[in-house]
Amino acid sequence: MRCDLAVIGAGPAGLAAATRAAEAGLAVELFDEQPAPGGQIYRAIETVPAPRRALLGPDYAAGAALAAAFRASGAGYRPGALVWNVDSQLNVDFSQDGRSRQCRARAVVVATGAIERPTPLPGWTLPGVTTAGALQILLKAQGLVPAEGVVLAGSGPLLLLLAEQLTRAGAAPRAIVETVPRGRLSAAARHLPAALRAPGYLAKGLAMLRALKRAGVPFHRGAEALAIEGADHAEALSFTAGGRRQRIESRLIALHQGVVPNQQMTRLLRCEHRWSDGQRCFLPVVDDWFESSVEKVFVAGDGAGIGGAKSAALRGRLAALGALRRLGAGEDKRLAGEAAALRGALDKDGAVRPLLEALYAPSAQILAPADDTLICRCEEVTAGALRKAVALGCPGPNQAKSFLRCGMGPCQGRLCGLAVSEVIAAERGEPQQTIDYYRIRPPLKPLPLAELAAFDVGDDAGDEAGDDQDAA
Amino acid sequence: MQARYSFFSLARNALGYHENWPEAWRSPEPKASYDVVVVGGGGHGLATAYYLAKEHGITNVAVIERGWLGGGNTGRNTTIVRSNYLWDESAALYEHALKLWEGLSQDLNYNVMFSQRGVMNLAHNQHDLRELQRRIHSNRLNGVDSEFLDARGVKEFCPIIDLRQGGRYPVLGASLQRRGGTARHDAVAWGYARGADARGVDIIQNCPVTGFRISNGRIQGVETGRGYIEAKKVAVVTAGHSSVMAGLAGFRLPVHSLPLQALVSEPVKPVIDCVVMSNAVHAYVSQSDKGELVIGAGVDKYVGYGQRGSLPVTEETLAAICELFPIFRRMRMLRQWGGIVDTCPDASPIISKTPVQGLYFNCGWGTGGFKATPGSGWVFAHTVANDNPHPLAAPFALDRFTSGYLIDEHGAAAVAH
Repeated sequence: MRCDLAVIGAGPAGLAAATRAAEAGLAVELFDEQPAPGGQIYRAIETVPAPRRALLGPDYAAGAALAAAFRASGAGYRPGALVWNVDSQLNVDFSQDGRSRQCRARAVVVATGAIERPTPLPGWTLPGVTTAGALQILLKAQGLVPAEGVVLAGSGPLLLLLAEQLTRAGAAPRAIVETVPRGRLSAAARHLPAALRAPGYLAKGLAMLRALKRAGVPFHRGAEALAIEGADHAEALSFTAGGRRQRIESRLIALHQGVVPNQQMTRLLRCEHRWSDGQRCFLPVVDDWFESSVEKVFVAGDGAGIGGAKSAALRGRLAALGALRRLGAGEDKRLAGEAAALRGALDKDGAVRPLLEALYAPSAQILAPADDTLICRCEEVTAGALRKAVALGCPGPNQAKSFLRCGMGPCQGRLCGLAVSEVIAAERGEPQQTIDYYRIRPPLKPLPLAELAAFDVGDDAGDEAGDDQDAA
Repeated sequence: MQARYSFFSLARNALGYHENWPEAWRSPEPKASYDVVVVGGGGHGLATAYYLAKEHGITNVAVIERGWLGGGNTGRNTTIVRSNYLWDESAALYEHALKLWEGLSQDLNYNVMFSQRGVMNLAHNQHDLRELQRRIHSNRLNGVDSEFLDARGVKEFCPIIDLRQGGRYPVLGASLQRRGGTARHDAVAWGYARGADARGVDIIQNCPVTGFRISNGRIQGVETGRGYIEAKKVAVVTAGHSSVMAGLAGFRLPVHSLPLQALVSEPVKPVIDCVVMSNAVHAYVSQSDKGELVIGAGVDKYVGYGQRGSLPVTEETLAAICELFPIFRRMRMLRQWGGIVDTCPDASPIISKTPVQGLYFNCGWGTGGFKATPGSGWVFAHTVANDNPHPLAAPFALDRFTSGYLIDEHGAAAVAH
């Protein structure tokens, strides 16, 4: 199987990239692990019932146009397809319907988006503890809301948005415990003038806060030293705020500390990454066209740095233009003109980011977890064990694998990677950039041996026959 | 001086919640000059340094490692240990290594988790069967334990193997070396590092060697990422990067560097308590202490330094594994990786002096270096200390490629080179 452009991920960036490239006549294949387009942000956008769509708000509903344009574009679409490897020759190995196959691409757009930043704090692995993003998935996909009052804890716009959506759905959270320290707002205020250039964001944020206040959701600010209590199940969240220890009972606690790029695919491809102090994570290095350090590999959307849904769609289009340019499928001058307009819009939309990054920077507690807090949940490695390994001479995350096996479980280091790099950097007193990150190995997610054994690489002569069988 | 690991030190440290263990080895700054510089901090290099200090009293030694200890092939292999090689020269070398393995944890005072669970090599056709029997006879003549199992014997030794004989890889019999098994790879590197350090060897990590200083045909020292280090002798043990190192010293080695790959599954309860290898399909499987199936595949057909390997090789190996062990079909593969193996035309190693006086190379172990670690270090240390090959190492000198006295071990190497 072959294509000109393989797009991985059907969120706003992937949909926009696939649409634009297909409109220009490229043979596009869009691979997505989910059963329907939309990604996390526009999950279930094509099938969501009207009342739920209204409840989720106009920003969510805006995704429908993207999905519709994609459907009309003629781009190939493979839902339920897990891309588990992309090699340096741009062969895309994917698993769909229990079968693994390979698609040879001339260029790749990685649009695998963001993941929620893992939040290692005491008790975070107890049953009953989840993330804000997970609750929002249930709300978007199935219209499910917590039966019992949930406690939302952490920081970031998603925390407030979810609170507002749950409130509107009649399942107001029991409390919001925000870890943004006092004084952060005034420190972030210097970014305010720039943020005003991005229309709408601030007004929406303030409206959200007002709505929560009106609904009477208890709001605890400046919380520190969060801990989830409970032996076999979460029973309460305790924290220090306003100089005293407080405790809120709930069997459902959702944590959130912002989102970070999902680096698995770009690391697998060995793209160059740089540490970003602003976003407090690694970002793949990309040029004006969102092309990474690996030729013909583009990174669009939040995977190239957190920018939100609107920016993701703009970046997706831009990456598609970059691919067209690279593959010689468009007139350079026209592509440059279109790209310039997109970059202008991107610049404007991204103006709010420095403010958000400064205001909602992750809490100190999760960046430097206490010694007895689990940091790698697959292999049950504590932050203290990692610090001891560093004291014994462990110089980086890849060596930590052989010392402690952290990052070697089923999540392939997706959940502990950043925290492990941060802890080692702090212990050794070196910058995160020097410490770097895990080397990521295929498969990106575990795969049955029998499926690999029957892996169909395909060959040039057999391509057509293979595709016919697919159709049958 | 390092504390000895013992029952009492364990008990004493348990009282302190294991918070107070001393560091296992120092991280010294490199000195200006050493008697011997060992290039490469994998198992073989560390073992060389250890035996130089322990057996030959040479302690002014540095091990210089580009990355971290055991981060190369030592930490990437499938940890199989055996000695059932065909020819006298190889059998003697690998058997010497196996005997060292048998006392290694005691010698190093470090548990390398050597487990003599038995290694079985399968025969899938009449030719395999004859070849295997020839090797068994040869092994026995050389005092290497080796026995033949017929199909029923194979099933008894490893009950989960499918013997219905219907498939592409019927099992007609196997050779079994009961003294063979597995060891914990990282622990081998760490144990040797700790033992060498205790005897005064400097272990210097994150320090690439970028060149050799040679004058009048004699080694003077090494250029490194942390400056020039003078050395009376330099011992190079850099596996897949050996030909690169030889290039820096101005001569060529008859080695090809190829990616060899391996993979692990998700962990499960104990299901296979031996090592099963199949030469014909380039597959070998065992289960780690943690419960993961450790599966080794064949080498790629082209030269490369990518430390990853290509998927068709994995696919072919897994097709065979799934047929031999239907019970594994639904298990999930967690991770795949590659190492760079330096292979010689005769699938035997090079342990040798070189055209440069005072410069020694130990390389070309191909796909089977881990099992030789203690023996390799032992004979190489002797060769370096005396500037004269150890009797067991002598047949593996570089001159065999001009004399034609090759030691063809393609059959026993288990993976085609």
